[in-house]
Amino acid sequence: MVFELNTTLSEKLHILSAAAKYDVACTSSGVSRKSKKGELGAAEAAGICHSFAADGRCVSLLKILFTNECIFNCKYCINRASNDVPRTSFTPDEICQLTMEFYRRNYIEGLFLSSGVMQSPDYTMELICESLRKLRLEYKFNGYVHCKAIPGASPELVEMAGWYADRMSVNLELPTEAGLKELAPNKTRKNILTPMRQIQAGLAESRAVLGMKGGNQSSYWYTQKRLGKSLPGSTENLNITTDTDDNKITDKNINITTNKDTNTDIVLNNGRGVLAQWHRNDTSRGFVPAGQSTQMIIGATGESDYQILSVTEALYQRFDLKRVFYSAFVNVNNDSSLVVNGGQPPLHREHRLYQADWLLRYYGFTAGEILSESRPFFNTYLDPKCDWALGHMEYFPVEINTASYNTLLRVPGIGTKSAGRIVNARKTGKLDFASLKKMGVVLKRAIYFITCNGRMMYDFLKVEEDYITRNLVSGETDVVKGFGDSITYKQLTLFDDFQLGHI
Amino acid sequence: MEKQIRIYQCENSPDGILSAVFEAGISGYGHNYIKIQPLAPGYIYNIELFSEYIKVETSPEKAENVLKTIDNMISHEAYFFVMSALLSEDADRGNVIYQFVTYGFTIGRDITKALQLDCVSRIFAIKRSVHNEAHFYKEFLRFQEVKKTPPVLMSKMEPKNRVLTLVTAHFEDRFNAEYFIIYDKSYKEASFHSADGNCVIRILTQEEEKKLDSLLDTNEKYADLWKVFFKSIAVEERENYKLQRGNLALHYRKYMTEFMENN
Repeated sequence: MVFELNTTLSEKLHILSAAAKYDVACTSSGVSRKSKKGELGAAEAAGICHSFAADGRCVSLLKILFTNECIFNCKYCINRASNDVPRTSFTPDEICQLTMEFYRRNYIEGLFLSSGVMQSPDYTMELICESLRKLRLEYKFNGYVHCKAIPGASPELVEMAGWYADRMSVNLELPTEAGLKELAPNKTRKNILTPMRQIQAGLAESRAVLGMKGGNQSSYWYTQKRLGKSLPGSTENLNITTDTDDNKITDKNINITTNKDTNTDIVLNNGRGVLAQWHRNDTSRGFVPAGQSTQMIIGATGESDYQILSVTEALYQRFDLKRVFYSAFVNVNNDSSLVVNGGQPPLHREHRLYQADWLLRYYGFTAGEILSESRPFFNTYLDPKCDWALGHMEYFPVEINTASYNTLLRVPGIGTKSAGRIVNARKTGKLDFASLKKMGVVLKRAIYFITCNGRMMYDFLKVEEDYITRNLVSGETDVVKGFGDSITYKQLTLFDDFQLGHI
Repeated sequence: MEKQIRIYQCENSPDGILSAVFEAGISGYGHNYIKIQPLAPGYIYNIELFSEYIKVETSPEKAENVLKTIDNMISHEAYFFVMSALLSEDADRGNVIYQFVTYGFTIGRDITKALQLDCVSRIFAIKRSVHNEAHFYKEFLRFQEVKKTPPVLMSKMEPKNRVLTLVTAHFEDRFNAEYFIIYDKSYKEASFHSADGNCVIRILTQEEEKKLDSLLDTNEKYADLWKVFFKSIAVEERENYKLQRGNLALHYRKYMTEFMENN
């Protein structure tokens, strides 16, 4: 360890933002909040990207570590205890000033505060809570705050942070327990999942009491609802009854009574809820209203894409997460034991994972539909949706004028917006291929899979997987070189070699 | 004889265009034969043969009438589409609005969803373009503290469409207790917001423009810190300038602190 004394604010910012950049949670979305009169800040539900860094990624938050001192020694991390790097910390006031001044200049939507583990998880978490308390209560900041929970911190501190933050996250780091043990022995599955469960339960309670203001649902939840499936962790399963006669909302498990008339009394009966701090006077924001997220490192260990995607699905279903992020492994420590595929960060694989993540959250796919035990890796040349479509040609062609929204979503080239527009436009009249183009459908891909009024766009199109594969992949010169003009779909599914140097 | 095309020429302002829509609407001449041409000052127009030109007087009452009718008889969403289109710089917006409104009176509420119709998809595209630009400026505007006591924040932009009102509304909320100025250099207007919540938009005189141009940052400490932050958060192994340009077009960078050399 190298301790820096007398560092300027500028030097601290340089060190502690460079150290935080591998945490890719980038959104400032999920909560819509108007400003409070006289106070600085508001939040936008869709999130706002204030800038884009040289790596093309969105910059929306002041993403910093409280300190890069750390007692843990995780193999992949630049801040690990055994590394010789300059170490420094912010003071809570410095963090508040930076946040407020950057926000006033419209550089950021809010603060993203993570940290190395200084002395102990609780010691660190207390400092984080103190910074957030100052920011919200003394500096009166009403913008977006994303706070990390330190694995192993006590529940009281995790809850305290959750009342100040809009979003919280705990990084899962690796998809399997074995991977975590190998790379981050100080972090156990237990002390990662425990705060996640706590935040999940607290969120549910906050929603039960405050309604949507207490926290809105994830896109995965809405998609499942649209498909008629209810999730195990939803508030619907929390036994909430509305006693309309005397205007009270009671929950048999939680025993919280909210008197709608007075609107300020939240009376805890027999106090057996998950959240212990309802007596605070700043609960109006709700507990972690923008939900929970997490992150996994891709490419540091040998898990398959199918394993990663299955874990993602389980997290959405059982932990009610808003988002799962994937961070392509960057070998900052030049540790040869961690190199799985070549030396470069697996960006293409990360891209495929995000595409699959979108399919889970918006398109109603299940992990088992996209990948399987026998096909555990993504296709290099075809995105997951196209790949699925070509493997299930029995569902096509889809007739545009009669298909349901969910069916339209399965067509390559038709996304959620186009599908919605098609369904709405049908009310005024029949659609043809020209109108589809106006609505944002990518006809280059979709023409193989759709009919309008019973006809395909061109008579010579064949609804046959090898023909379509050749057409979709024809721009990719190295594939054509390898297989010549007779590429078949089956050949491409076997061609998933992620050691290709140029990708 | 072929029916002649009638071209209604009006002032290049929202009231002017709406007055032309009013005149065209009540004329009953037939929407297929009517064009609306807002006259932007200094622009040279080709005179079309076999067309009848009619000059339209700008009338705020007629404009108000048109908007009220759209809001009541079609839908509020249609009214929103028309208002958004009026903010754009598209020379064809008069025609698009007129066609849209004419179809809207026949079809009713569903008009805003009927993207298969040419005029609807065009007005939708204009509305989207205007709001996208407003959204970009909400993201990319950078404020400088140009005065210390009381602290006054100022930002500049050069939008293609007239998005000042949309952008100001956003900051009126989140900066409700700040003095700020948003200076639109394309349309020569600026909005001025005071700490007690009052906000005005002024069309600027040449002198006022000069004055705003001369204001400098009095507190560069945080601008410098922002540049430090911006440089250090990029992951070098993922460097991708093409992606950055795709997400953040070059013309937005003119007044952005992190891309300005000598700020």
